[in-house]
Amino acid sequence: MNSRETGGGEPAIVAEHLHKRYGHKVAVDDVSLRVEPGEIFGILGTNGAGKTTTVEMIAGLRRPGRGAVSLLGLDPRRDRATVRQVLGVQLQESYLHGALTVSELIGLYRSFYPDPRPADELVELVGLEEQRRVRFEKLSGGQQQRLSIALALVGRPRVVILDELTTGLDPRARRRMWTTIERLRDEGVTIVLVSHAMEEVERLCDRVALLDAGRVVAIETPAGLVARAGTQTLDDAFVALTGKQLEDVG
Amino acid sequence: MSTVIEARRPGVRSWLTLVGCEAKMVVRDTAGLVVPVLLPLLILVMSAQSAGDQVVVGELTALEVYVLPLVLTMVLASIGIINMPSFLAYYRRSGILRRLAVTPASPAMVLVAQVIVSVLQALVGLAGALAVAFLAFDARPPVDLGAAFAVYGLAMAAMYAVGMIVAAVAPTPNSAVAIGLITFFALGALGGMFGGASGLPETLAVIGERLPFGAAVAALSAAWVGGPVDAVHLISLGVATVVGVVTAALLFRWE
Repeated sequence: MNSRETGGGEPAIVAEHLHKRYGHKVAVDDVSLRVEPGEIFGILGTNGAGKTTTVEMIAGLRRPGRGAVSLLGLDPRRDRATVRQVLGVQLQESYLHGALTVSELIGLYRSFYPDPRPADELVELVGLEEQRRVRFEKLSGGQQQRLSIALALVGRPRVVILDELTTGLDPRARRRMWTTIERLRDEGVTIVLVSHAMEEVERLCDRVALLDAGRVVAIETPAGLVARAGTQTLDDAFVALTGKQLEDVG
Repeated sequence: MSTVIEARRPGVRSWLTLVGCEAKMVVRDTAGLVVPVLLPLLILVMSAQSAGDQVVVGELTALEVYVLPLVLTMVLASIGIINMPSFLAYYRRSGILRRLAVTPASPAMVLVAQVIVSVLQALVGLAGALAVAFLAFDARPPVDLGAAFAVYGLAMAAMYAVGMIVAAVAPTPNSAVAIGLITFFALGALGGMFGGASGLPETLAVIGERLPFGAAVAALSAAWVGGPVDAVHLISLGVATVVGVVTAALLFRWE
């Protein structure tokens, strides 16, 4: 069973009642969400709200304690080989082969996919033209982050999960990355964006899931969240809905 | 509208790219090349002249009977016990394996590529030592070439297996290097790396001969002379391989 049919109308991602505990600590208590094809879907919450664990379960990196995930109609763990062809993931704090250069790493990751994006296009998408021959370990934190994003896009994925897209990037690089994300949306790619940054969420996301203590507090458009909380800004809406201050990183 | 998603595994080109990348990692890790390649060469060059003059059996000198088996074992042991575990620990710690787990390549692919590269590295160390011994010091090839190859292969398996134990118990990349170095020098010292096992107290010499380093040296030496390889040494290498693989399988963590 090497191939699957996926309908054009069904959701890109369906997560139902996800639950995950590490030892005695419950990281994700009960998370359900649906992401429509072509949508930019934000996952917003404080540190420890369960954002990363949620997307790691969606990506098939962690097995849910309870609940189920469907990605383009596939099970990320059982249909691993198929899902890897259509899903691009940027992990938080992931490291790459330190002694390899930007070009070499892009070449390596391109070799994993049947129809990869051209190397030049990837370098240009994340603005690393000047760093092609620089080793990964010599890149700045922001440059490493940008390369990591480029590698998530190598295989022309239909769904992309970006965990902390612009954390650690300077304002210019951040805006450039936003333009890149909008370009992907225009290509019809579905994007899940884990974020701390309100400005980013407001500008990019069609809808947002607000997570608090491992649970979904609300799923709404950014404007809908503001209206629902009866506040002026998304920042205030976040505080009103979760009772917590969002530490805006970067 | 519907589309078909094909589940495709990375092909030959991907494997070659990966092996090439792993090779670059090894070559650029200059410090990691010193012990496996330069240290054995140094010992060879320092002792070859005098050893080449001492006839031990027939036309064979101490160079073939003692020095070369020792030097070739050092190449294997240092790569298997020091280098391989430190790379594994680094990959595990840094999240490289985890990053690859979300691509069509599997972490296992990286490990296989790593093994291929490290075997190539061992062959380079072997070829370098042999070239110097044959060209500069007129060493003779093993009388029983088949046995020498078989022993070398088995010794390689045993050293990698010991390295897998190191990789399994080491919590950090740093400690992997430390544990690897200590293991390498302990096995080496007991196996005659510092001036021959005859200089050791008898109990230690007997133990050393039954540990993988000493056993590999003794078995290679026997193959060089063309005499029968002692079963004790083969069993020792076999046991080390099995124990290493089983321990690693029980203790090794990917993350």
